Amino acid sequence: MIQYAERFSKEESLGVLNPKIRKWFEKNFKELTPPQYYSFKLIRSGKNVLITAPTGSGKTFSAFIAILSELMDMADAGKLEEKVYCIYVSPLRALNNDIYKNLSKPLEEIYSEFNSNKKITVGIRTGDTDQKERQRQLRHPPNILVTTPESLAIVLNSAKFSESFKELKYIVIDELHELANNKRGVHLSLSIERLAELCGHDFIRIGLGATLYPLEEAARFLVGYNKDVERDCYIVDATWDKKMEFETICPVKDIINSSDEKIESSIYKIIDNIIKKNKTTLIFTNTRSGTERVVFNLMKKFKYSEEEIAAHHGSLSREIRLGVEEMLKKGELKCVVSSTSLELGIDIGYIDNVVQLGSPKSITRAIQRIGRSGHRFYDVARGEIIVVNRDDLVECSVMLSSVKKKLLDKFSTPKNALDVLAQHIVGMSLNRKWKVEDAYSLVRNAYPYHTLPKSDFIALLEYLSGSYVGLESRRVYGKIWYDEKDGTFGKRGKYTKIIYYLNLGTIPDEVAVDVYEGKKWIGSIEEEFLSRLKPGDIFVLGGRLYKFEYSRGMRCFVSRSESKYPTIPPWFSEQLPLSYELAIEIGKFREKFSKAVEKALPKKRSLALKGIKSNEVQEILDELPADKNAKSSILQYFVEQILFAKYVPNHKFVLIEITEDKKSDLNYVIFNALYGRRVNDALSRILAIILGEKYDEDIGVMVSDNGFVLFSEFKMSSRDIEEALETTFKTDITKLLKDNIRRTEMMKRKFRHCAARSFMVLRNYKGQKISVNKQQFNAQSLLTAAEEISPNFPILKETYREILEDVMDLPRAKEILKMIESKEISYKIINTPVPSPFSHLMLTFGEADIVMMKDRRKRIKELHKEVLKLISKG
Amino acid sequence: MELGDVEIVDGTPIIYIKELSAVACSDLHLGYEGVMAENGIFLPKANLRKIKEEIGKVVKEKKPERIIIDGDIKNEFSKVHVEEFNELYEFINFLRSSSIKEIILIKGNHDNFVDRLKNSLGIKIYKQEALLGKYFFFHGEELPGEKSKEAEWLIMGHMHPAITLYTSVGKKEKIKCFLYGSFSGKKILVLPAMNYFAEGVSVNLEDVSELSPIFSNFDISNMHALCISEGETLDFGTVGDLRKISKV
Repeated sequence: MIQYAERFSKEESLGVLNPKIRKWFEKNFKELTPPQYYSFKLIRSGKNVLITAPTGSGKTFSAFIAILSELMDMADAGKLEEKVYCIYVSPLRALNNDIYKNLSKPLEEIYSEFNSNKKITVGIRTGDTDQKERQRQLRHPPNILVTTPESLAIVLNSAKFSESFKELKYIVIDELHELANNKRGVHLSLSIERLAELCGHDFIRIGLGATLYPLEEAARFLVGYNKDVERDCYIVDATWDKKMEFETICPVKDIINSSDEKIESSIYKIIDNIIKKNKTTLIFTNTRSGTERVVFNLMKKFKYSEEEIAAHHGSLSREIRLGVEEMLKKGELKCVVSSTSLELGIDIGYIDNVVQLGSPKSITRAIQRIGRSGHRFYDVARGEIIVVNRDDLVECSVMLSSVKKKLLDKFSTPKNALDVLAQHIVGMSLNRKWKVEDAYSLVRNAYPYHTLPKSDFIALLEYLSGSYVGLESRRVYGKIWYDEKDGTFGKRGKYTKIIYYLNLGTIPDEVAVDVYEGKKWIGSIEEEFLSRLKPGDIFVLGGRLYKFEYSRGMRCFVSRSESKYPTIPPWFSEQLPLSYELAIEIGKFREKFSKAVEKALPKKRSLALKGIKSNEVQEILDELPADKNAKSSILQYFVEQILFAKYVPNHKFVLIEITEDKKSDLNYVIFNALYGRRVNDALSRILAIILGEKYDEDIGVMVSDNGFVLFSEFKMSSRDIEEALETTFKTDITKLLKDNIRRTEMMKRKFRHCAARSFMVLRNYKGQKISVNKQQFNAQSLLTAAEEISPNFPILKETYREILEDVMDLPRAKEILKMIESKEISYKIINTPVPSPFSHLMLTFGEADIVMMKDRRKRIKELHKEVLKLISKG
Repeated sequence: MELGDVEIVDGTPIIYIKELSAVACSDLHLGYEGVMAENGIFLPKANLRKIKEEIGKVVKEKKPERIIIDGDIKNEFSKVHVEEFNELYEFINFLRSSSIKEIILIKGNHDNFVDRLKNSLGIKIYKQEALLGKYFFFHGEELPGEKSKEAEWLIMGHMHPAITLYTSVGKKEKIKCFLYGSFSGKKILVLPAMNYFAEGVSVNLEDVSELSPIFSNFDISNMHALCISEGETLDFGTVGDLRKISKV
């Protein structure tokens, strides 16, 4: 059973500790932190526990003090052997080093005070650990093993080392929120079940994480099942115990008409003020390029030196990042600017304020980021979100309201991922010969695989045993043997063990695509970015604008562009999608607020542009954690939309506009459907396919969080749109989407990733790294060949699953369509002479960037002018 | 599609020449998957099967007496891989069980060591080029020799031609094609790759002058791209025109 834990008294909590540990703890800490009031006793009584709490809440000690107590008891009784009693797994190597230090320190202090004869040992084992240390660990296994998910998976196949796990008592999973929602975590969940099987007994599972929701699902992910019974787990939720203060800031009064220079200088003034007021400020920019630009501008405008301000993001070298982290810990920096890299994990010392530039796109992420400030648990975390467009103002204000209401976005775990499972089946077969039944039931103990159909498991055994090639080639293709009659499988091939070690893991190779102008190499872009480009697109590289011509394999060819503006922002692949829950919250706000505004409209409606007198409107605005500029901009936004279009779209009402762009001669159908980009990705494709088939023409699609736009050279009628929606109700849309995805670049790319994870396309073979270039062949033919083997060929199936469920959100898109069918969600199609205010940002999404957005602003200003012209007449 | 005396069998990368009672194709790269597997890329086996399907259909229909492989029957440069060996035999046996009496191979850059198998395979091998009637077959990695002067037709492989089209909304499609035009008063035809996994070179996007010495001083802009679609062959116009429209 999954249940919430109860708080124990201080004495109850401290009373369960080993006397030496207790003495050390009380000497070093005056007070228990909130999670510790729950955890000490629970862990000491052998319960599985999930602890979520913000940074600085003594989360790690809430687990380790109890564990050290147990080990110290054993040492005192002379029962501590050279065996691993506790495994600590964290996805971040840097965190491993921190933990190692944090455990070693109390142990040394205790030993120097008590002079124990038997010492508790701690060992660290990651990809960085050298051979000598590994050998040493083999001879003298540490009592506490600090490791990563990947190193743990490797250790499971070391027959000798895993011998020392036989007495394992605890496994601690740190940063659970970083694992539970992705394939890396799925991979770990199988490792843990394999570990339990290897030990021959169950152990106590402790999960540590920052904010995540729903906690019950996180707990299930942590503990899994024992056959068909869910394992017990207690939840300790200290997420909300930290005090937070926050606000959405709009840098200028008139966000539409202010000049770019004014907006920029105002943003930097606000940031400078915050930096000056505080000891250390952490700024998040969402993108790497933005990070560099902010650092540069702050130095230039306010004469900060390199000793005072630094950038920290994933593209910087490890040395630089470690250097910045060191300076932060010592409290030497006034300000650090980060893309996302400082969002999680390692202790970054004393930060008293967080500034977020642009929307963080999810409630959970807002809490995590703002929560990086206020170093100690009882300090207040403080954060400002600065945004410069009206959708973001609404989005971030509602986001922060949601934090106040303790609402969070839901995470979801990828289910039944076949590529990850393929790896573990190979790993398991390297351990020993298996009965299919036993292996299948082990796999189903892991939460992400509890609903795995047996047929999928068998299909994987067949694939891995090389059944897709003739008998004579299985020697090379087969990674396992599989005896169908006997219902058994086991290892095969002399290279399999090496293949397993060298290719294990779930993170696809980061691929850089080389960009050439003619024969001249000019730089590289990410593969994902390439897969979004179409000929004629203009993008920035090394400060210059280039037009995309074509690509071949991992090379991209461009020409110099005369245009002034990029059509695709360079950070496109970095941009995070809006969470569904937040999208719905924004919809609810739109519904409530637009009703209040409509009620308060004066008789001569255009007067509303000058202001509205209404207590109800004022009350709703007052509740928003936003500054004055932000509130007045939001009000103005809604008034304009109502005056212009009569309708404000919300979560239960989709506004569809048929309109045209005089500049590009394109016809637009704009769906104001606020469901987040993942849902809209699926919805927009479905409609574009249906309409495209009807007209026998390609329909273009632009997708954003707030809706999507279909564009075409001809005009679509409202009847066509209605019919298209009706068609979706009676169509197998999963099949429709699959057929469409089949021929896309995304499918090829994802297929290659899944093929790599399933050991079909190796990244590393016989000690040689295989370049991604070599992995290129006609992916389309490969897909067809795979389809011919069986439409259920596991790698193919997984590729579709990943695209439809992880990249897009087809399940929710289906729900939305169902609700449209049942009229729970209504829609209205209108014709507009120019796009309505709520769709301006959607139309210019391709140009969106908070720190560099001149082009976009210009277009919005133009659209806005036309709208105002029309509504002030009425 | 008829090109005078040469017929492109619709929807296939294969030509039929009635006068020679022959079908011809190029760049099979047999054993491809096996060689890839040795490199850690475990593709499902499809190449030989697909080739057999396609050639089988054409042979059944046209009942030719000979087949001309215009180079690169197998994949590996330096040695005969066991997979290639097996597939080569399977392919030859397959041909033997049909109307085909003579198998002619124009040796390409990947076909070293095939000589050794000449007798056991029972095939006729020419190095790089052969004049058969008025048709001059050459693989294409070397310039056509003196004998080509006597021919009306130049037929080559090696290049793996294809065109890439982007639709107005950015979808990318790559289609295998023949290239057809004239070269110093003769008709010239470039055969697409028979290999199922071959990516193909986008002749409308890429510079092809280095792919074969023949193209180093011969512009392919005036050649027509005859594309292989499902069941049919479509003339997409000249490469030059295609190059223009692909630059948006």
